[in-house]
Amino acid sequence: MNFFEQFAVILQEYYPYFLDGVKNTLIIAAMSVVLGVIFGTLMAIMRMCRIKPLKWIATAYIEFIRGTPLMVQLMFIFYGLPMVGIEFPDVSFIPNFSRFMAGIVAMSMNSCAYIAEVIRSGIQAVDEGQMEAARSIGFKYGESMKLVILPQAVKNILPALGNEFVTVIKESSIVSVIGISDLMYGAQGVIALTYRSLPCLAIAACIYFILTFISSRLIGLLEKRMRHGR
Amino acid sequence: MEGKSIIRVKDLKKNFGDLQVLKGISTEFEAKKVVSIIGPSGGGKSTFLRCLNLLEMPSSGHIYFNNVDICSKNVDINVQRQKIGMVFQHFNLFNNMNVIKNLTVAPVKIKGMTQDEAMEKALELLKRLGLDDKADSFPSQLSGGQKQRIAILRSLMMDPEVMLFDEPTSALDPEMIGEVLDVMKDLAESGMTMIIVTHEMRFAREVSDRVLFLDGGLIDEDRSASDFFNDPHSPRLISFLNKVL
Ligand SMILES: Nc1ncnc2c1ncn2[C@@H]1O[C@H](COP(=O)(O)OP(=O)(O)OP(=O)(O)O)[C@@H](O)[C@H]1O
Ligand SMILES: [Mg+2]
Repeated sequence: MNFFEQFAVILQEYYPYFLDGVKNTLIIAAMSVVLGVIFGTLMAIMRMCRIKPLKWIATAYIEFIRGTPLMVQLMFIFYGLPMVGIEFPDVSFIPNFSRFMAGIVAMSMNSCAYIAEVIRSGIQAVDEGQMEAARSIGFKYGESMKLVILPQAVKNILPALGNEFVTVIKESSIVSVIGISDLMYGAQGVIALTYRSLPCLAIAACIYFILTFISSRLIGLLEKRMRHGR
Repeated sequence: MEGKSIIRVKDLKKNFGDLQVLKGISTEFEAKKVVSIIGPSGGGKSTFLRCLNLLEMPSSGHIYFNNVDICSKNVDINVQRQKIGMVFQHFNLFNNMNVIKNLTVAPVKIKGMTQDEAMEKALELLKRLGLDDKADSFPSQLSGGQKQRIAILRSLMMDPEVMLFDEPTSALDPEMIGEVLDVMKDLAESGMTMIIVTHEMRFAREVSDRVLFLDGGLIDEDRSASDFFNDPHSPRLISFLNKVL
């Protein structure tokens, strides 16, 4: 059998492994980005606020996360937290829940730092004059943010958030090292069964590419619609 | 000094780090009078104007608006700013709102005007300037002159007691300067109190009651418009006027 035949046969016989992996990869990526947006927003607010200690904490967190490998962060959460007595409970109806949680926590803690920067730069990209005009007419800081700055910042932020989702889909392959059955883990499982690593990896790569390609197309469409409709 | 002064400035100083931009300015602005401020670039004109509504926080000194020291901690500056209109060099219309929303958002949200009242008032002002067909346009669809005239209307919607202008025509193509100056002239004639930073000497001479020369962070000359231009005293003003006239 040549490479392409192997590719086809493996796909045909073992597709449930890959499908299951895709499902988990998407769940992890989506959860991480959603949690990342929530905490990233908080982190961005802290970073931009006037209370110095909050600002320092946020800055330190963001710099630290962006300056260390995701792999190390994941290991820290998975092995480190139980050592200091923090454990994710096992839930009977979701298999491997504690592993899953560790993966999602690590991914979202990581994503949150990047998203905080996306939000901050999206806000700072809005012309300063907009805030000055709003303040000078009598709006309070919060009102100015809500009515004038954020609606404009969202247009800068959403496309970048979409890119973050694409990045997280790819980066999440790392959670397979702590035994979460994502797409990469599925591929490794099939390798163990078939001893054919190259076709399996090729299948995984193709699926990752399809996922990211579709995501970025969808984001592109969304972006276009936002630019036309205001 | 005759008339009622609406803004009094006492020994106003402003530093940016080590750089002292305003070095102790004291002056008054009377109600219904138009005062122009001219001077060389970097002299502190914008900084001075922005201090008047606390877009810049003074480093020291006092600014009294209707006898209220707005620099004092227990004054709500947001309330004071509602009565001080400001027009910027770069218009700064709210880019996410169309013209009518730009005009109505502040009176509705801040002054509690109803949407209908605000709308009616906005349309009337727009009509007066022949801009009512632009009501639904967004700022990006307007010319500079249109933007600036609408920015002036946006301030007027709040019924301010005084209007500050920071080089309102400096970012405009020459053919649009006139339409903005005309609106300002009308406003001056209607009795609005105005403080105008400008490089338009002819305009300053024509509409101002008083002209200030602000140079190196100090008021170097403060005269009636005709004296200011016909009989300047300060040597630096004389050389400045020689350069620009
Ligand atoms: N936010 C700021 N931080 C630091 N320095 C500033 C700031 N704003 C203004 N300056 C400095 O203060 C000085 C006065 O500036 P200002 O804008 O008030 O001058 P101006 O008279 O309005 O000049 P122009 O005619 O060019 O507008 C300049 O040297 C400027 O670099
Ligand atoms: Mg200036």
